[in-house]
Parts: sequence; C-alpha cells; structure tokens
Amino acid sequence: MKGGFRQSMAWLHTWSGLLVGWVLFMVFASGTSSYFREEISFWMKPELHRTPAQPAAQQAQAVEQAVRLLEREGAGSPRWTIGLPDERDPSLRVSWLPSKPPAGGGARPRPLTVNLDPATGERLADTRATRGGDFLYRLHFDLHYMPAMWARWIIGFCAMFMLVAIVSGVVTHRRIFSDFFTFRPRKGPRSWLDAHNATAVLALPFHLMITYTGLVTLMFMYMPWGAQAVYKGDEKAFTAEAFPNARANVPQKAAGRPTPLVPIAPLLEQSRAHWQGSAATRVVVTLPGDANAAVTIYRDDSANLSANYASMVFDGTTGRLIETRGENIPPASETRGVFVGLHMAHFAGPLLRGLFFLSGLAGCLMVATGLLMWAVKERPKYAKALARGGRIGFGLRLVDGLNIGAIAGVPLAMAAYFWANRLIPVGIAGRPDREIAAFFTVWGLAALAGIVWPSRRMWQVQLTVGGMLFALVPLLNPLTGGSGLFTAAASGHWNLVGFDTVCLLLGACLLTSAWWLARRQATARGAGTQAPRRAAASTAPAAAPLQSEPALVPARHALGAAESASP
Amino acid sequence: MSAPHCLLALAACVAAFAALGLAMDRHYADAYGRGSEPSPGQRRSLRLAGVGGLLLSLWACLAGAGNAHGWVLWFGIMTLSAQAVTLLLSYAPRRARHALQGLGLLAVASAAWAVLSA
Repeated sequence: MKGGFRQSMAWLHTWSGLLVGWVLFMVFASGTSSYFREEISFWMKPELHRTPAQPAAQQAQAVEQAVRLLEREGAGSPRWTIGLPDERDPSLRVSWLPSKPPAGGGARPRPLTVNLDPATGERLADTRATRGGDFLYRLHFDLHYMPAMWARWIIGFCAMFMLVAIVSGVVTHRRIFSDFFTFRPRKGPRSWLDAHNATAVLALPFHLMITYTGLVTLMFMYMPWGAQAVYKGDEKAFTAEAFPNARANVPQKAAGRPTPLVPIAPLLEQSRAHWQGSAATRVVVTLPGDANAAVTIYRDDSANLSANYASMVFDGTTGRLIETRGENIPPASETRGVFVGLHMAHFAGPLLRGLFFLSGLAGCLMVATGLLMWAVKERPKYAKALARGGRIGFGLRLVDGLNIGAIAGVPLAMAAYFWANRLIPVGIAGRPDREIAAFFTVWGLAALAGIVWPSRRMWQVQLTVGGMLFALVPLLNPLTGGSGLFTAAASGHWNLVGFDTVCLLLGACLLTSAWWLARRQATARGAGTQAPRRAAASTAPAAAPLQSEPALVPARHALGAAESASP
Repeated sequence: MSAPHCLLALAACVAAFAALGLAMDRHYADAYGRGSEPSPGQRRSLRLAGVGGLLLSLWACLAGAGNAHGWVLWFGIMTLSAQAVTLLLSYAPRRARHALQGLGLLAVASAAWAVLSA
C-alpha cells in the first residue's frame, strides 16, 4: 500500500472485494432468489399447481375450517399457527407443534404443516416434503451444515467487507459521471472494467442499501453492547421495546384445566374493525384447549415499508382483548423496521419486486466481474513464464478455480436443486435433506473440478450444463407433475409462469456466455498469434486480454490504470 | 400503481438518461458520427430535458405509488433505465436519438393520460 489516498483506496477495494468475493457471490445469488421465496416454494410443490389461483373463501370461513382440523389433529399441541389465504398463496396453511418433544429432547420439534382448501377444509393433495425457497433464503444468511450463529458471523464479516469495498470503490472510481453510460465491448480488460463499473454504479443505491440494511438485520448480534449497557441484562424489556412484533408475551405454561377455545371468527371481525378494515394475515393460538389459551392475530402489513407488524392478543377462553401491539412503535424501532423491511422487500408489489430482483442480478454481475478482473489483471504477469513453457502462479490458479466454482458453480447448483426437487422420489425418508445434499454435491463437484482444472474448457462445460438445466426447467415442470407454462397461464398461476420464464431466461444467459467463450476461443485460434497469448488466454473467460497495452501495466490497479489511459 | 403512471415513470426515465447521455461528447459523437459535437445550446437543452425527465419520472412514482413506495420505485426504475441506456449507447448509438424522440413522445402522452384520468 503506497502512493496517495486514491491508490490506497484502490488497494483496499481490490483486496476487500477479492477475499470475500466468492462468498458474496453466493450470498447475492441466494438473496436475489429469495425475493421470490414463496413463488419458488409453490413451484417446488407441484401437487398444489392445480389448485385455484385465487383465495376461494372469506377469512372467517377459512379460519373455521382450520380450527376444525386442528382440534382433530393438533389436540394437546402447545401452539397452532394458521396462515390465512392471500394473493401470493391462496391456500390455507395450518401448522402445529407436536404435543411432546421427541425423545432425548435434543433438537427442537419442527411444526407439522398441511395445506387446506379454505372453502371446504379438505386437505389439498399431500405435498412433497421440501424446504422449497426457504432453503435458499436460509442459505443467504445461515449457510448450511454449521451452527447458524457461526454462519451469521461469517456472513456479517463478509458483508462488512462488502461495505468497505463499495465505499472504497466509489472513492477509487474517479470518473463516475463521465463514464456513467460507458460500456466498450470487445476491448479486453477495459470491457471488464466497464462492465464492473456499469453494474456497480448504475445499481449503487441498491448495493449500498442492501449491504447496509443486511448488517442492520443482525445488528443486535454483531453489536449487542448498546442494548446491554442500557437495559442492564434485562433482555425481556429490551425485546419488548425493540421488536414490537416479537412473539406476544402470553402464558407459555398450561394451567392444566381443559377449557374450550373461543370461536376465532368473531375475533377476526373485531380486529378488522379495530384496524379500520385491514385484513389479518396470520392467527397464532397458544395452549389451545387450556384455561391459559391465548389468540394472537397479526395484521397484514405486507404493503408497509417497515418490517414491524401490528397484532392483537385475545384471551383464548373468554375472547377478551388483552393488548394491541405494534401500533405506536418508537422511532428507533421503526427506523430499524424500515431498514429491515427495505432489505426483505416484503412490501414490494410485482413491479417493484422485479426491480429488486434485477438489481440483485446486477449485484451478482458486479461481484463476478470484479473477481474476474483480478484474474485478468494478474495474468499478463505470467506471459513470459508461459512463453518459456512455465506455469502461472499458485494464487492466480486458485482464484481462477474459485471463480469457476462460484460464478459458474452456484447457478449450476441452484438448477440442480430444482431438478432434484422433481427427480427425487416422493415419500422417501429425509427427502428435504436429499434435495439440499444434491445442491451441495453439485456445487462441491463444480468447485473441485474448477480448482483442479481451471481452464476455459471448464468454464464452458459448467456454464453449458448450468444453462441447459435452467433452460429445460419449463419442460421438466409439466413432465414431472407440475403445470406447464400454458396451463399455468390459463389458470391464472402467474407465479408459475414467472418461475418458468425466469429459469428459461437465466438458462439462455448462461448458454450465451458459454457460446461467447467458444467464439472468443475460435477468434483467438484463428488469429494464430504468438503462443503465449493463446496459452494464457486458455485459462479464463477473461478472453484474450493479452495485448499488452501500455496502460495496463499489471502491477497497477485496474482503475488507476484505466484512468491514466484515458485522455 | 396505475398504468399511465407506470408508463410515464419508465418512459420519462429512459428518455431522460438518453438525453443526458447524448449531452456527453463521447456518446454524441457515437450517435451523430465521429468528430461531431453538440452545440452549447443543444447541450443545454439535452441536459435540461434530462433533468426534467427524471423529475417527471419521480413525480409519476410518488403520485402512483405513494411517498414511501414511490422513492424506492424511482431508484429501481432509474437503475433499470440507466442500464438500458448504457446498452443502447454501446450497441446501437445511432438509434439513441430515435429512442429519445419516441420515448419523449410516449412520456408526454402518458403524462397527459395520467393527468386526465386523475
């Protein structure tokens, strides 16, 4: 690190980006897909594809049906949850915690869930066991195969690096406005730099927002000291004030006296009147059938920017209103709520959600081009060694391999996850874990192959296979029990139409980049230039960047170099 | 968000960025042939049109989606539009002025639609 302020920022930008780039690519990819978490989950349960696309009954009727099933199947359970039908998921989702913790008491019991027809209360066809979009959502911040706390520290560390990379990148990029619309194709390293700048600068509001608010979602874990100092260890008081929509403070211990549950439909009516017509989204019943029962009704705040949701708590035996929550949220808590809400975009309608998704894709491309650029800048250093028949250095080889494993491997693994959802037999034991194992097996193999053979051929193979898997999803879907594009469109399931179309487009993009690589290789061969060019060009999609332009003295940073090159 | 607001927000934003792009020497030369340069008056009116278009787009977002959602939407639409204009100016610079004219007309028409249907 030497030279002026801008040089040191360039150094910081390069290394803070490179070190965590591969994790960031995965985080961006899984986070981007999580904007459509519910749509992905619905697609991954083809048994539901033939159900009506619009809610078939009023909430009052739906909740009666849910309670009828729960009294039959969930008697003695400590908690029932009723997800009321809405636009994004027209089925009635009923789940309950098993009444007794499993023997050994180690793992927390997982709730059992069924989907019902809201009008008749009939169980919809038993859906296959799958984690659906929830897996990709959890992967985004909890990773997998490790304790969630470790994962969140790792992700937080990477996100902090990301924030540093964004700020130092803005400082380094002297020509933000004069290069605002600039993309110069077919110009080697210059094109990579332009692509990196365009995806970064044009979506900068999103990148800054998403990185910062991502850190905010877990800020009390990363920096608990403020709360500790103020509340002096009184975690309950802190939780109640900081998270107005945390679980209601209702009795958790059964009184032991069986008492019938109050009818819920009138409570729904009461809450709707209290909220001036706003509908409810979810009903939670704690200790149903006991004298200590309580009913919590959550307001549908999905159109609010803030992630703080209002709720009303009722006595479960008398129907008396115990408290209303989340209506006068203190400013600090509301600020945090808006930050978290912006990150998760629950409030976004179809158009805005699409824009978030596109900005997320721009983030993926920004990270990918940044990673590739490091390799593009590094490669010319080895031109002489390669000309003598030598090898490129270990660092470059490793980066090349990790780049393949992340940039080509992650999409490949995601496509494999969707295929596994349809190809793993229904009813097999541990099915959700097998789907997830398919994701990690494919990703692991892709990364391993990339590290062992970091060649242009490997890029082509992985991009082609990933592209084929994605592009064929619209065919796989109807062939394995789902509703195909036309059926889905005819029955108004636009979530399915969207999923299949986006997969097709992603596949087309991946196949195009594989084709583009093949074409670049052909031109490089056709040009029949000096051996070192060809040999070096065969190691990355960085394409033939090897005309040693004087402006691109490899030891200098990309941005500084480009600046000195421009008039 | 109603259709005219949505159309106006997008058309005005893309047109605005196209105008701002054409006001820059490099893109102007790409669009009108090597060596050509916008006259000072042309440059001023292109920039003015660009700023006006962005403000019009912001108005459409706020009027159509409310204050809270409107700002988020505006930033999202700006990102999308600027990327579209970048591709336009890189791959089809000679079409840029036609795009600017066409989208400008579309923006004016949808502005009228939005106002009249209010």
